Amino acid sequence: MSAAALKSRPATLVTGLAILGAFVLVALLAPLIAPYDPIYQDAAARLQPPSFAHPFGTDNFGRDILSRVLYGARIDLQIALIGVAFPLVIGTVIGAFAGFFGGLIDTALMRLIDIILAFPFLVLMLSIIAILGPGLTSFYIAMALVGWVSYARLIRAQILVLKNSDYAMAAVSLGFSRLRILFRHLLPNAVAGSLVFSMSDAVLVLLSGAAISYLGLGVQPPMAEWGVMVAEGQSFVTQAWWITLFPGLSIVVLAFGFSMIGDALGELMGVNE
Amino acid sequence: MTAAHPLLSVRDLTVTVEDGDTPRTLLDTVSLDLNRGEILGLVGESGSGKSLFCRSLVGLLPSRSLKRTGGAVLLDGQDIAGASAVELQAIRGARIGMIFQNPTSHLDPVMRIGDQITEGIRFHQGLGGVEARTAALEIMAQVGFTDPPRQFSNYAHEFSGGMRQRAMIAIALACNPEILIADEPTTALDVTIQAQILTLLLEIRKARGLSIILITHDLGVVAQTCDRIAVMRHGRLIEVGEKRRILSAPAEAYTQALIASHPSMPAEVAPGRSPQSEIVSPRPRALVEIDDLHVRFPVGGGLLSRRKTFSAVGGVSLQILPGETVGIVGESGSGKSTLARAMLGLTPLSEGHVTFDGHSLSLKRAETLKALHSQAAMVFQDPYNSLNPRLTIGETLAEVLRVHRKVPDAAINARVGELLDLVELDRSFAARKPRSLSGGQCQRAGIARALAVEPRLIVADECIAALDVTIQAQIVALFRKLVATMELTLVFIAHDLAVVRSLCQRVVVMHHGRIVEEGPSDRVFSAPSQAYTANLIAAIPDIDPDRPLSGAPLSSPLTKGQPA
Repeated sequence: MSAAALKSRPATLVTGLAILGAFVLVALLAPLIAPYDPIYQDAAARLQPPSFAHPFGTDNFGRDILSRVLYGARIDLQIALIGVAFPLVIGTVIGAFAGFFGGLIDTALMRLIDIILAFPFLVLMLSIIAILGPGLTSFYIAMALVGWVSYARLIRAQILVLKNSDYAMAAVSLGFSRLRILFRHLLPNAVAGSLVFSMSDAVLVLLSGAAISYLGLGVQPPMAEWGVMVAEGQSFVTQAWWITLFPGLSIVVLAFGFSMIGDALGELMGVNE
Repeated sequence: MTAAHPLLSVRDLTVTVEDGDTPRTLLDTVSLDLNRGEILGLVGESGSGKSLFCRSLVGLLPSRSLKRTGGAVLLDGQDIAGASAVELQAIRGARIGMIFQNPTSHLDPVMRIGDQITEGIRFHQGLGGVEARTAALEIMAQVGFTDPPRQFSNYAHEFSGGMRQRAMIAIALACNPEILIADEPTTALDVTIQAQILTLLLEIRKARGLSIILITHDLGVVAQTCDRIAVMRHGRLIEVGEKRRILSAPAEAYTQALIASHPSMPAEVAPGRSPQSEIVSPRPRALVEIDDLHVRFPVGGGLLSRRKTFSAVGGVSLQILPGETVGIVGESGSGKSTLARAMLGLTPLSEGHVTFDGHSLSLKRAETLKALHSQAAMVFQDPYNSLNPRLTIGETLAEVLRVHRKVPDAAINARVGELLDLVELDRSFAARKPRSLSGGQCQRAGIARALAVEPRLIVADECIAALDVTIQAQIVALFRKLVATMELTLVFIAHDLAVVRSLCQRVVVMHHGRIVEEGPSDRVFSAPSQAYTANLIAAIPDIDPDRPLSGAPLSSPLTKGQPA
């Protein structure tokens, strides 16, 4: 490991955490710092370009974009968090058992994963949401049902390798129980990769959340969410670019923050070595 | 050997690393000459800078943060230390060739061996396809390929470790260099193969007038092959001189220690009870009894072909008495590790019986495993891989104590301290993780974990193979002390015969999954009854340069196995 990598590591981590922290702060303080009510429609101030009164401008209903972006942080962070946490936990447990015990359980689970992966991701998400009905809860359920497969595969592959390590063999020779070997010795060494992946996955979840909302199946208007805002601004993009630009930028910056943290975690945990 | 000026002359070479704010010196004003046709042995522990030295000669520093901050490298009078990347590229390969420790990772797995050899010939000598092929075939024959036209189109994975190393040498020779740098070329190989490769290097030197820098940690290798020896430590060249002078009268204390720790030095008497007793009056009950054991693994097999099995252990019978120290030796693939694992119930038995303390593994599996778990423990080869990297040494030891309920919870910390004392580690190591430990310290922690179960039997599988010689000697001394002070039965598996000789009362020689020879160490080593054992012993590079190396290829033993 070079000294340059050692130096750059905290910088990446600090930048990523700062970006994420800023968004969390904004989400928490949204009611205090937002200049307007995010769903208040001011018919007199429609499609106004950025100005002192409306720094990010207003949309076609006369709603303040800045306030909507600030409130949107609440929903989008929630999407990233819940949309990653459930697949991560479910996938880790399933992958760990499949890899460790092998045999029939493993074969069955792996075929199930193959089936899920055989469908395009968005198509499967849309079908599940279509069955459950539009809304955020449906989105989370769909995410959990589809998203776990990547984590399960990652963890399973790790466990398969670690299972043959000398310390696993040592644990077996010392008569440790199988669950103890799996959860205390193998899993803590296997999760590093999926934690790093979860950060880039957060970006994907954020974008698919936006995409689903854009299609009208996720967050419902008039609630402020960046994906919905981009969708709504789409028809006005030639006259009022600010409606789509600012929520779009927010998605990009938050996504950038997540991937910075992911990179830094990867180096810290030695995943890339 | 005496030329007007040396072929390669290194003057005050200094390399530093930018580590944080303060630069650290990795190579400290190293000056060294290499004469034409000379073999120079560069010895030292890992981290002494010997590999770095050779890499910096050809401008291949492993990281950007490393910088050559001073000194000159004169190749035939021309300073190449400040040469540009393009100039260095022309020197690398064409004038200075390199071979490395691990041929597997340095050969391209998807390129035919022959193509890898011709690549260099075409690049550096500018020959056309057909001429290059002819030249490659010639080199292949020279480095001992038996059938070059056929082997030309084989891939690396189709060769054994020794043949891969020959292929590496062929690639290095392909560019017709004046200097060959060999970085631990035989460390990953069995002794018999090592002897062949070293003999090959000597022949090539003679045939081509090549100068060789041989990096190694094994003084035996140096004694057998080199003309001069340079000893490095902590990035400094501490001693350099003619081989016999250094070996017989080392000036530096470190060199003396290095020579004294070489296992081919006169063997100390193995500890423990007198070995004759087992022959005269058989003990009432063996601790481990192995009877006609077979272990087979399924290999390959597909839809159309029948599933084949590979027999790792084929019909081994062995008795190990309580308190005995038994060494199991053999080349890689001889089945010694499989035997060890089978002994501890870690691998399924295909046929035969393993009995531990009266419990039969094949008849009463659960009961025997329970006995094994609480009375036997294993020490592994790779010290880092054998400890959970996320747990501190203290946590690792405490877990064993807690699971086996060896001591009450309140006394666990005290016991962890005692275990660390036993393996001569400072008690502060309890709070450290394996990553921050050296290989030797990790291995001590691994031994402490084995001792935590208060075992009657310890099986050590190649547990010193990955360590430096001086550390090896320390670990062997530790085992000797433990065996002498505790009621311990030790099964010590190694491919290093000299170590086994100095540690074990009894030795078992394995070959192709069978026991070839078995008996008291003194007898087996001084008067081996089987040709295979004799060859194995002759292949050990002795530190005495006047005892020649046997490079003869091993023939299979005439008799297969011997009743125990």
